[in-house]
Formats: sequence, C-alpha cells, structure tokens
Amino acid sequence: MRDEPSERLDPRAKVVWRISGALNMLPLLAGAGFGSFVLLRWVETSLFIGILPVLGVLVLAVFSVFVAPGLRWRRWRYEIRPDEVDLQRGVWWVSRTLVPLARIQHVDTRQGPLQRRYGLSTVVFHTAAGPNQIPELSTPIAAEARDRIAALTREQDEL
Amino acid sequence: MNSEADPLSRLHPAAMVINALKSIRRLVSASALPGIVVLFSQGLSPLTIALVLLGAVVLVVLAAVWGFLSWRATTYGVVGGAFRLRQGVLQKNERTIPLEHVQSVDTVQGIVQRIFGVYEVRVETAGGGSGEPDASLPALGRGATEALRREIEGSRREPVGTEEEAGPEILRRLSVRDLLIAGATSGQIGIALSLLAVGSQVFDEFLSEAFFRDLVERLAPNALVVVLILVPVVALFAWLLAIAGTVLAHFGFTLSRDGDFLYIKRGLLERREATIPLGRIQAVRISEGVLRQPFGLASLRVESAGYGEDAGVSAVMFPLLPRDEVQMLLREAAPEFAVDPPLVPLPRRALRRYVFRGCVPGLILAAAAILVSYLVFDAAFGLPALLLVPLFALYGWQRFRDAGWALEDDRLVVRSRSLARVTVVAPRRRLQSRSVFQSPFQRRLRLATFGTEVASGAGGSALEVTDLGSDDAGRLVEMLSARTPFRTGSEEPGRRDHPA
Repeated sequence: MRDEPSERLDPRAKVVWRISGALNMLPLLAGAGFGSFVLLRWVETSLFIGILPVLGVLVLAVFSVFVAPGLRWRRWRYEIRPDEVDLQRGVWWVSRTLVPLARIQHVDTRQGPLQRRYGLSTVVFHTAAGPNQIPELSTPIAAEARDRIAALTREQDEL
Repeated sequence: MNSEADPLSRLHPAAMVINALKSIRRLVSASALPGIVVLFSQGLSPLTIALVLLGAVVLVVLAAVWGFLSWRATTYGVVGGAFRLRQGVLQKNERTIPLEHVQSVDTVQGIVQRIFGVYEVRVETAGGGSGEPDASLPALGRGATEALRREIEGSRREPVGTEEEAGPEILRRLSVRDLLIAGATSGQIGIALSLLAVGSQVFDEFLSEAFFRDLVERLAPNALVVVLILVPVVALFAWLLAIAGTVLAHFGFTLSRDGDFLYIKRGLLERREATIPLGRIQAVRISEGVLRQPFGLASLRVESAGYGEDAGVSAVMFPLLPRDEVQMLLREAAPEFAVDPPLVPLPRRALRRYVFRGCVPGLILAAAAILVSYLVFDAAFGLPALLLVPLFALYGWQRFRDAGWALEDDRLVVRSRSLARVTVVAPRRRLQSRSVFQSPFQRRLRLATFGTEVASGAGGSALEVTDLGSDDAGRLVEMLSARTPFRTGSEEPGRRDHPA
C-alpha cells in the first residue's frame, strides 16, 4: 500500500485528550470506589480483593491519561489529496481509511468547550454512508482543511 | 369538479371514513388504559355502561365530522413541476416537493382501503429518513393513483417510443408453494418464540396459576414428560407463527420492472406496492439462510440510498428463489449487479484466527457450565459442555471457507457468513469509503481486514472481509480508487451519486 499520509494533528491534541481522558475516568472511578466500598464494608472481603476495582480503574486511567494520547497522536495522520482524503489512526487496531472526494456531501468544523480553550477544531465530512473526521487541528488549519475539501469536492463534481 | 383556478384535486371520499377510523383508533388507544381502570374500580353498573356508550357515540360523531373536514381540507396535485399537498383543518399546511426530488410513489392498501377499493399513496423523497413518509394520501381510487404515478414518474423519464407504454414487465412471482417454504425456512422462529413468551405472560394474567398447575399435574406426573411435550408444541406453534408472518407479508410477491424502476407488490391483508429506482440501488445482498442453503435456496435484498421506509421488509427484492436462478433474475432486474465471479479465498494462515474466534463463545459457554455445575450442584456434569467447543471450531472453519472476495468489471463482491451465508455485490462507484484495519496479531500473520461502506437508508451499511492477506487488502483499496483506470465502460466518469 502507498506511504503514510503526510500531515499530523496539532501537538496540543495530546493535552486535550489527556484532560478529556481524565474527565471520562471520573465516573468510572466513582463507580469503582463504590464497588470497593461495598466489597469491604458489606461483603467483608479481604483488603486485597476489596481494592481490586479501584486499582483496575487506576491502571486504566494511567493508561488513558499518560500513555494512550501519545500513542494515538503518533499514529494519527491525514492527507487531503486532490481525489481522496486519506486517514490513518488507531492505537491497537490501526485503520487506514480513504474517502473519495467525489463522495463527500458536506464538510463542517466543530469545536467543543475544551477544544476552544486550546484553539483546536475538528473537521467533519459526511458521505452518504455517514461522517468521518479529522480531530484536533489548530482552528485556522481546520478552517483551511474544510475549505480545501469543499473546493475539491466541488471540482470533482464539475468534472 | 374543480374550478379552473384550482388545479388540485381531492382525495377519494373514502378518505373521510379512513381519517375518521384513524382518529377513533388514536382516541381509543389513548383512553383505553384510563377507561379500563375506571371500569374495574367502578364495576359494571348501568351508569358506567351508559357513560361508556355515550362516550362511544360522541367519539364516533366527532370522528366523522373530523374525517369530513379533513377530507375537505386536503387537496393534492402536480403543479408547475412540483407535487403539492395541501392539508390541515385548523392549521393549514402546504407541502411542495419538486418532482426531481421524488424518490418513489408507493402504495399501501390496508384492510379498510381494500374494502373501498382505494389506495394509500406515499410520495417518498430521497432525503426522508426512516419513519414517516414525506407525503401520504390516505385514499385515492385506482385511476387517480395511476394518473398521479404517471404524472410524477413520467416527468423524470425520457419519453421514448411506444415500447415504454407496454407497462411494467413481470420478472418473477412467488408461488404459494415457495411462499410456504419461505415461511418454513425463514428462521424467524426466534422472533415468534419471543412473541409467544410475551403472549403467555398476558395469558397468565387471565388464567390462574393454580389452573395450570392442576393441568400439568393431571396431564403428567413426571416433569420431564411435561417438558418433552411442551417444548415441541411451543416450537411447532412458533414455527407456524413464523410461517403465518411470512405469508402475511409476502403473499403474492411480484417483482416487475419498467425501464429504470423496479416494482414490488406483496401482502395478504395489506397490499403494498413499492417502487425502487434502479439508480438508487447501492448493493444487492444474496442471503442463503442456514435452513435454506441445504436446499439451494436464497433470498435477495437491496440496499437503497435514502429510501424512506423502514429498512426491514421493504428492502426485500425477492424472498425466496433457487440459488442458481439468482443471476438470471438479477440480469433482468438489475443487470449492474449480475456478477458471480469465482471468489478469492482467504490465505490458509487466516484459518486459525477464524477457528479461534469461532471457539471463543463455545469456551465461554463451557466454562460457565462447568463453573455452575461445580458451584451450584457440586458435580462435574458441566464437563460434557466442552464437547461443544469442537462444534464451534467447525463453525469457525466453515466461516473461513465461506469468506472470500472478488473484483469483477468494477464491481466488488464480498462473501461472509455469520449464520446465513451472505454475498454482497456493490459497484465501485457506490463505495463511500474504503478502510484497512490491522491489529498487532493480524500484523504478525500479515493479515488485515478490509472494509467499505455503501449508503443505505439514512446511514451506511458496511461490507467487510476479515483476515485477508495484508497485501491483498492494500491492493483492494488501491484498485477501488477512482484513480485506477476503469476496467469497463460501466462507470460514468464524474458522475456523482448523492441522494438529492
């Protein structure tokens, strides 16, 4: 298969992913804490078994906050070619997706509150089969990518 | 009938009755629960009976008036290149659908409509997601239906010679024998069983438990005998229910074609007529169910873009036909999809992944059985469950043998099995995106999963080949790219098929 796509996401993506990863872990941690509490207090298991849920979630949290964002960022690449958008992503399952520009129906950029804080945006482009996205580009680059995809789509249309 | 100024026409008068019945049904279903509660709490005194009767009379009168008013308020027609529907008694509402946006004109004939000999006509647009049709006319006479259909569809068709006037050509009709076979092998026994379970719960409410216990005790003192009798009886009943469901839905299934349109007629009590524009078909699925494959039988489904009806039954192109006649029918009905190339099998090294994946549920089941037998019964009779594992391995092996792909004349053919063996045919220009997935385990074996999507209904539908050689996966992605020169003239360059 052809070479990897050329462009990377904005490095600040890692920070955003760390924060959102940590936020996502909070409810899980609360649940695990409750589970441990129940085990220790009412089931009266040994301390070792009792703290297993919390330990498990902590390991998961360390992975998703400190390890995964780096791996994910290193893998994420994209390239907008004249005829196709090329995406590569995935920490464990690596996926490579090609979306022909001629199939793209419309493009938007999106920005969540956390992204706004760091000046990042997500480009979302829709085909008849559903959306694909390039997340965490710096806002000006995202706008540029969106306009480029829109222009190329139009060009493909007129061919 | 109408003055010159108003080119719109009215519905068939039967619409009054149909609208009235509809509003009665709505009101009754809304008041059923409180009504029952009142009845039970008050008992059947003459006063409550009188009240209920009075309520019913008021309801019928109101519904009749409403039916008349809404009939009077509803007009439709094709004016200036657009379909127009005006309706609403209190709040007037006018809908205009440009003819080029109309996807299909479908008809449904429910029981009430059949009594009056009228049709419910649904005008569907490409953008309309599932659920409600974009415009629905509850009652039109046969003539008016045909006229409207001609007006809408005729405008999109180039007026070519007299050949076109010949009307739709019937391609295949489902015989009663095939209909019964389709029902018997539909594999919907599971659904029927769950329906039965719900039904029996309702039943339980009415018949006391004691009655059942009495019955069971008298019939058979041995629990085993009860089970042996009950299970086949329930299974048989579910099976009959599945057959009945198929008969209701697919009775008189007729597939015909007129130019660029496929027409499907089906239904026993509720007659349905659906249109599928050939240009909207994204992929064809040939499905050989577990019960059907041994008899060489298959069913045909289409994935159609932006088709406004609920995905399930409407996508059936033909419910049952011999596997070796599929190509013949496709050549006549949708020639773009009529290919049956020899498939490229998966590499030998993928077999162990398939067998492993097949075994996993078997292992889990066996482990659970052993654990339960030890913990609950303190015995080892869970161990024979391990015998299930080779069975699951065999299933994995079968899946491996069935999987395959081919690229022929710009069409991608993908075959896989979950329970039924499914072969999907999709032209290259219908593929929305193409992906290669690879896990570290796959990488070690130089394998990858190829996936692509076609538009289907409001969203997409995935086609996948799991564990083909990673070189092949990469090659497939490249070969399906728009840059690769066309191998036949079938793809029109630059044509973009967005549902609009």
